[in-house]
Amino acid sequence: MADASAPTILLVEDNEINRDMLVRRLTRAGHHVICAGDGEEALAKMHAQMPALVLLDMNLPVKDGWTTCREARANEHIQHIKIIALTAHAMDTDREAALAMGCDDYATKPIDFPSLLGKIAECLPE
Amino acid sequence: MSKPEQAITAWSQLVIDSVAPLQAAVARPSVTMDDATRNDLNALFVANDRLVALLTSDAPHKQHDAMNIIGAIKGYAEMLLDESDGLHKALAKPLAAIVSATTTPANSIEPPDIGLKATTSVTTVQSRTGKHCEPGVILAVDDMAENRELVSRQLGKLGHTVITAESGEEALELLDTQGVDVVLLDLMMPGIGGAEVLTHMKENEHLRSIPVIMISGRQDMDQIVACIQAGADDYLLKPFNPVLLQARIAAGIERKRWLDREERYRDQLERSERFIRATFGRYLSDDIVNDILERPEGLELGGDLREVTIMMSDIRGFTTLSEHLPPQRVVQLLNRYLGRMTDIILDYRGTIDEFLGDAVLAVFGAPRSDKDDTERAVQCAIAMQRAMDEINTQNMADELPELRMAIALNTGTVVAGNIGSERRAKYGFVGHAMNVTSRIEDKAEPGSILISESTLEKLSGSYRVGDRQEISAKGLEENVVVYTIGEQH
Repeated sequence: MADASAPTILLVEDNEINRDMLVRRLTRAGHHVICAGDGEEALAKMHAQMPALVLLDMNLPVKDGWTTCREARANEHIQHIKIIALTAHAMDTDREAALAMGCDDYATKPIDFPSLLGKIAECLPE
Repeated sequence: MSKPEQAITAWSQLVIDSVAPLQAAVARPSVTMDDATRNDLNALFVANDRLVALLTSDAPHKQHDAMNIIGAIKGYAEMLLDESDGLHKALAKPLAAIVSATTTPANSIEPPDIGLKATTSVTTVQSRTGKHCEPGVILAVDDMAENRELVSRQLGKLGHTVITAESGEEALELLDTQGVDVVLLDLMMPGIGGAEVLTHMKENEHLRSIPVIMISGRQDMDQIVACIQAGADDYLLKPFNPVLLQARIAAGIERKRWLDREERYRDQLERSERFIRATFGRYLSDDIVNDILERPEGLELGGDLREVTIMMSDIRGFTTLSEHLPPQRVVQLLNRYLGRMTDIILDYRGTIDEFLGDAVLAVFGAPRSDKDDTERAVQCAIAMQRAMDEINTQNMADELPELRMAIALNTGTVVAGNIGSERRAKYGFVGHAMNVTSRIEDKAEPGSILISESTLEKLSGSYRVGDRQEISAKGLEENVVVYTIGEQH
């Protein structure tokens, strides 16, 4: 279903149930999706595969989303990659913090899928 | 357990409950599906099993994991609804219920900052479960948005209208303006806490009758007991069982309805009482008003036969007198005279039926009768004549003319009761004895009291009684025997 020429989205999510579901849905929506389960793996895949967009869960093992985001923004090779932060709590402070950290957008869990698709579309090149 | 954790736990329970009907539907042999649908359904059930396992575990990031799993369940349910071609229709309804159970307003509100800001949302959801419970207006007071959301969802499903407040302050404001049937009140809140809100409510006569259900953690049992003593109706411990919540709410609504009916009834009674006091208070002594009020049939039209002593009095030559005086002086004269007579008649527990210009019609023995009705009537008449001396002294000081009053008393049977139409009725008297009294009064000399033989027969006190006289008058079939009466010197 995924278009071969579609930009790659890196989904960073440690909860495999949620990850599997999102991969299925995003794939069905026509996106090309790769996954990472923690922050270290995410940074490695950003370097290796240069996704157009990262959907980054902020609550991750090994290296959390905040650190991952900060390191990505500090690295000239991958700092251009768009990041949408995913957090479980709809706190104003989280939203502000994620945007201040350099995230391009922000979505709360449980994910409202149509709204996420809209945010993805805004982040991806035409 | 922390508050957000309690809320998530309760929410998880709600989600798990919403998955059960889908599992039942899938298990039915008549329900068929393609492989893609089966895969997604299996993934949804696996996620649900994980949620069940998580609830009983001591996992360190329980809250975060639960949110993820709930998100996954929601995702699969939406996917199944959106994208499976030829989804068996038996699955659509339970899937929609799962989507509803897993959806928070956070996802429908932009920017994505749920109700953590001050939000007052009114949600009315028609009952889908069709359980029997009278719908009511519930005010849910909790500082945690998740808890408010959960309660709104659970109660909204049953058809209740749920208003939420995030603080004690907001709750009190809402209580002032909204008609609320039951209050669900969180005990521990920053600012005005649940116990304080409860105290405010119980001190306010308008809010006192609204049932309050306290919500708290298990560790706050002492304070719950204090709240029950302070007037709370019930309590729930967090995380609460949705069925228990529904039952307590239903009981609360029923109690409120009952109290409302009682209050309406009390209001009606008070209105009737005010009406009776306003209508009769000026003409009846207080104990007679109370007597009418104590009888439930008090204001019904119709009456009964009563033996009463009727008193009629008037000022001789008043019409001529008044022609020579300016109207204000006539009113001054009349008010002084009638005011004094009213006081005396009420003192002797007479019922004033009417003032007709300078004439007074009063009755002793109705609506309440006593053995000494006639005795009091005669003593009253004597007191009235005596009072004329004072009135005339004042009149002379004010350069008003001297008044001379004649009084007649007659004892007989009359119909006493509320006479008139539904729209205009007064407590009054009809009967031949009324006419006879009027005729006797015509014959009474100024300054005297003339009584009929029937009145004299009832007297046991000692009076100065004059000679027997017979009078005849138009409208009377027989002559009437009368006597003058006065104080025994």
